[in-house]
Amino acid sequence: MQIKVKLYASLRRQKFDEADWEITPDQKIASIVEQLGLARQDVGTVLVNGLHAGWDETVAEGDVVSFLPRMGGG
Amino acid sequence: MSEKTISNNPESVIYKRCTVDLASGTTTFAQVPCKNLEDVLGGFGRSFQILAERDIAEAYCPENPVILNTGLLTGTSIMTGMRSYFSGYSPLKQSGTGRPGAMWSTGSGNFGNKFKWTGLDEVIFENRSDKPVYALLKEGANGPEVELKPADHLVGLTGHAKIMALYQEYPEAHFAAIGPAGENWQNNYMGAVVMSTDNELKSGEPKSRFAGRGGMGSLLGYKNLLAVVALSSDKLQKITPEIRDVNRDILKSGGSARFQPASQGGGGGTWANIEVLQVFHAVPLNNFRPKGNDDVERLFRDEVEKEFDIATEACHRCGIRCHNNLFYKNEDGSRGKLAAKFDFEPLILFGSNLGVHEPAKVCDLIHRCDLLGMDAISLGTTISYVLDYNERHPDKPLFNGATFGDYEKIAELIEGAGRGTLPGIARGVKRLSEETGETAYAMHVKGLELPAYLPDTNPGYMFAIAGGHMSMGTHMMLAKEGKHSLDEWTQAITTAGLFQVGYDMIGLCKFVGVGIGHNIIVRALKEAAGLEIASADILAAVRRAYLRGLALELRQGFHEEKEYTLPSQVMNDPNPKVTLPKFITNEFLGELRQRVWSIFKPEMEGLLPVQGE
Repeated sequence: MQIKVKLYASLRRQKFDEADWEITPDQKIASIVEQLGLARQDVGTVLVNGLHAGWDETVAEGDVVSFLPRMGGG
Repeated sequence: MSEKTISNNPESVIYKRCTVDLASGTTTFAQVPCKNLEDVLGGFGRSFQILAERDIAEAYCPENPVILNTGLLTGTSIMTGMRSYFSGYSPLKQSGTGRPGAMWSTGSGNFGNKFKWTGLDEVIFENRSDKPVYALLKEGANGPEVELKPADHLVGLTGHAKIMALYQEYPEAHFAAIGPAGENWQNNYMGAVVMSTDNELKSGEPKSRFAGRGGMGSLLGYKNLLAVVALSSDKLQKITPEIRDVNRDILKSGGSARFQPASQGGGGGTWANIEVLQVFHAVPLNNFRPKGNDDVERLFRDEVEKEFDIATEACHRCGIRCHNNLFYKNEDGSRGKLAAKFDFEPLILFGSNLGVHEPAKVCDLIHRCDLLGMDAISLGTTISYVLDYNERHPDKPLFNGATFGDYEKIAELIEGAGRGTLPGIARGVKRLSEETGETAYAMHVKGLELPAYLPDTNPGYMFAIAGGHMSMGTHMMLAKEGKHSLDEWTQAITTAGLFQVGYDMIGLCKFVGVGIGHNIIVRALKEAAGLEIASADILAAVRRAYLRGLALELRQGFHEEKEYTLPSQVMNDPNPKVTLPKFITNEFLGELRQRVWSIFKPEMEGLLPVQGE
């Protein structure tokens, strides 16, 4: 099935801004990160349709999955 | 402290203190045994115990000291181990009773190392000088020496110019200085301490670091102490295999990766936060009131790179390289002169939060603030209030009538604040808003202006003891994790959040990026300072130090309900443009306060010494 993947900041610079992405129906977010070729420790936040999501969650056809890098203030 | 003296027994650890009476010019040296582990670790953990012994009713009084000290890892070869701390009762942070709050502020550069290498761990500046002076701290044949020197030639210079003038005289030293803002202490409560870096001295460019928060530069100005010179030979600690491993792990842990250069696969420094927070329309805009538009995107790195040459640089021997210095491009494309350093706080607080979105103009405003030696957070946030007020009252504006985006008039306000001609701004937003009677959108907590993270996203600000994000590490929790329940916020404030202050004891920079009880910290303390200590003991000491600070706030009269709150606009007029959960209501804050105090208060008992002992 197809989802839309959005990458931000340093992740975007590593790969792309936005892309349609093929996944299997039961594929977990952690596995999508791996498939994207991103290091899990570089990803700080995952949003599914704008809401925070965890590594073990799955997504649905047409979902927008956003990956944000780790954040830190100062 | 010497390595030999450090052990698990705090009393056996001795640190070297010099007390300088600025009124008489006398200096007194003492070997001081540590009372507890907080003393051993250092920084505010030690200085707040000294401050707590004193009954201080106003910041500008001779009895209010400025305490300069270091942390246990300052001057070691652990990466980022170069912090020094300035502590005192703040002219800016003030309770409703009028009594000042205790504060510390800290910075990097190479000043902390040089200070530590003089053989001193702490200098307490007492009273005030009747003439401008600077303090020369140096290593002598028989131990550290301290003397006061006339500083008439430094009067009126920017912080950077003071540093460069002193550098001509002391080419082997590093420096902490105040700018014109600190010199105008009567009319400016937000003066910073400007600290020299190797890059600054080598290039002559104003690449200083700042101990900005709480007006410690203004307090130095009150004391007529314009600069501190730390003159010592370099005593670089041998990098053993164990220290090398600690430093490698700091760079590879992931915690520091977000601050490392984008060109090397890192996050690109705190600057990257703009893009991440913009996902939620949570970047401060027009006095912390995002409009849900894309205005801030003109300050994204990609956009700025079109106009400026960006250099990632570092403090002394630091591999994190978090400084993003912007240089103008010459016509031939080569690197021109320094424009400004782009860190998240000044970038937002002198950019989008003032309605200024052109990078060159933002650079100029940051640069003016830095040269005048002010805290970018306090000044930026106070000016954004002025612009907001003026937009609401076009017929009766404040000062020069500046409104959002009015770059030239904003520049005038910065100059006026720094030069002491606009005390209404330079005494901070709390006082200004109380004068106007419009406090709802004055972005401060306990008199300290908020940093560039929306209060709509962080009730943890209430329990920060020395500025919103550097003394309570909850400022990104909502954006990072989406958590917004009472249980989650109670836990965050009373556990992980407060440990943010631990780095301000041990001499490392927060950009190491791992929890203070992390194995890397335990190993660093063991390998570089000889202190074998369990993670749990470090955490317990940091917790006591934090709670002592909180107890000190209550003793200085901060009201445990009325002053542990957020600007009322957050609760009464939530911003629909921010896409993160809106959960902060008066009821939520009331319940949160109750839960947090019920955990903290029993632990706070007995932490404060009896005054005068």
